[in-house]
Amino acid sequence: MKITDEVRISDNGFVFNSKTGDSFNLNPTGLELIKLIAEGKDFNAIRDIFLARYDMEELRFEKDFYEFCALIKHHQITTVENPLDFK
Amino acid sequence: MSKIKITIAVTGLNNTDNPGPGVPVIRSLKESELFDLRIIGLVYETLEPGIYMEGLCNKIFQIPYPSSGSDLLIERIEEIHQHEKIDVLIPNFDAELFSFMKNEERLLSKGIHTFLPTMKQFQERDKDRLPEFGKKYGVKVPESLNLGSMNQISEIKEKFEYPVMVKGKFYDAYMAYNPEQVKQAFNKISSKWGLPVIIQEFVKGTEVNVIALGDGHGNTIAAVPMRKQYITDKGKAWGGITLSDDKMLEITRSLIRKTNWKGGMELELIKTVEGDYYLIEINPRIPAWVYLAVGAGQNIPEALVRLALGEELAPMHSYHSGKMFVRYSYDIIVDLEKFETIAMKGEI
Repeated sequence: MKITDEVRISDNGFVFNSKTGDSFNLNPTGLELIKLIAEGKDFNAIRDIFLARYDMEELRFEKDFYEFCALIKHHQITTVENPLDFK
Repeated sequence: MSKIKITIAVTGLNNTDNPGPGVPVIRSLKESELFDLRIIGLVYETLEPGIYMEGLCNKIFQIPYPSSGSDLLIERIEEIHQHEKIDVLIPNFDAELFSFMKNEERLLSKGIHTFLPTMKQFQERDKDRLPEFGKKYGVKVPESLNLGSMNQISEIKEKFEYPVMVKGKFYDAYMAYNPEQVKQAFNKISSKWGLPVIIQEFVKGTEVNVIALGDGHGNTIAAVPMRKQYITDKGKAWGGITLSDDKMLEITRSLIRKTNWKGGMELELIKTVEGDYYLIEINPRIPAWVYLAVGAGQNIPEALVRLALGEELAPMHSYHSGKMFVRYSYDIIVDLEKFETIAMKGEI
């Protein structure tokens, strides 16, 4: 999963896709997540970071992570070559 | 560098809720560092807001509608030219383009330069000929059917699935979900814009637009893609944002190259979720949102004037994506004398 070249992410959580003209507001957790994705970290690495930082169950993280990934893919913020590959 | 002293006449000062491009064209020209400008505003109606905007035009003249005859219109332009010495004329209405294109040589012989599409280019992109245009120039267009009478409405279901778009030859578009709604739209459109009424396949997606300028030799001198962010009930952009979309630029450059497009244009496209682009309309002139392109880095009216004067220009490639425009309405307080002068004398 890769952040599309045309996407700009501001430190305050404002995400702008200059290819589609869409913009989104992320909450601090969403921003943290998208920044880790932008750094090229895979699911396992991001999960380890989140589980170390927050008091949460692994299953809950996994569910929320994939939901987030599906959402940003739907809005063309990321590109995934294999739709089943979220790594 | 000394500035070029130039007089430019501009139409379309109707900055209403269905805005003409005149005012933004003038704003763009005033930002040029190349010109020492004199602006002549040409208006059809006495309440076109551009007449009353302080500092916009040096002189304003009322001109007759093209529907009262091309000759009358051109004679009036020639009469104005005798006093004002117009160097370049920029028409901004679809309905007047035909008259100015037809009289391009006549105007030039008097020293009035224009930079307009050729008659062939203008007619080829007519809405009722869009399928042929798409086929000839290799661009996807929605399927369409031209209705010459209401009897043909029954043919729609053989060719399309509802909903369909019902469009006028020049203006107006309605979405119709059944034959009854097509009938209503047909009556509204045909009474206003005549026949044919065009039935167009409804393509689901996002409407995106490109403003562009062709030099008449196949080169794209300027092109900026945009997405409307706020649309009025008349379908006009009240806010928009520039996009970074290579595919839209590729379609634009390809069309300008293949048609040798001369002048300003606006491409209206639908981008589907699959990422396909369907051309739904080509407006053969600068659109009212031109000032966004200037703000993004491409002064299209300035380039158009230079082309009209016979300069050869290198294509502009860069612009800022993510630049936005937000339109607003504003009340100008006008003294009756000003209105009286334009109404009685036809100039101010």
